[in-house]
Amino acid sequence: MIRKELVAASAEPLILSLLAKGESYGYAIIQEVKERSGGKMNWTDGMLYPVLHRMERRGLIRSRWGESETGRKRKYYSLKKDGKAAMEKHHEHWTLVHSVLSGLKKEHYA
Amino acid sequence: MRDLEEKISAWREQMLAAGIQSPVPLDELEVHLRDEIERQREAGLDGQNAFEISVRGIGRPQNLKNEFKKIERNIMKKTAIIVLAILAVLFGPGMILPALAKHRNMGVWNFDIVWPIVVGSIITVAGISATVFGFKKRKA
Repeated sequence: MIRKELVAASAEPLILSLLAKGESYGYAIIQEVKERSGGKMNWTDGMLYPVLHRMERRGLIRSRWGESETGRKRKYYSLKKDGKAAMEKHHEHWTLVHSVLSGLKKEHYA
Repeated sequence: MRDLEEKISAWREQMLAAGIQSPVPLDELEVHLRDEIERQREAGLDGQNAFEISVRGIGRPQNLKNEFKKIERNIMKKTAIIVLAILAVLFGPGMILPALAKHRNMGVWNFDIVWPIVVGSIITVAGISATVFGFKKRKA
């Protein structure tokens, strides 16, 4: 299981990257992160919503109430222009962290 | 099914009692709860277990409230900075302009004329900086 500090730090870039594929809603976002991480990234489900609301307040994403195919009311989130820019920044930073770690790992096992 | 609806109503009451606001974000959390209960039932759990696991997954009402409170506090803090800054921008020139008028009438510079100009200028500059800072950081 991944440490909760890392899970918290990666929430925003993951949400932005998922929404870059198209609009989505809280439950689907959580399910996709769980699936993609093989169940190793476990968010406390409810905690996603304050993060989404904060991101909306900062102008990174927007929301609208809609209906699912089964008629259930849902709040859909989508990426805004500032959100796309923030996502690119996150990618740049996380790629840098990853490359530094990979370099060090290679040296360690060389 | 009626039993489940009663349980969800009771859960909503608990959330409201903890200070989670309705309709937003409580309605959104309820939709999430219903989605998770449905998934758990499809996976073979009975209604009672599906409900309990889903409620646990959402998290404790107080913890959630604390997270939402952080956003509210942030909004209030930034709004207060902007209001104070705007007041300073109005108050500063309110000191400078009468002092300049006095100087024009009397044709001299003395302490009674200079100090309101100096203090007013400091207040105005501080106000403008705080306003710009407040608006820039409003999104953060």
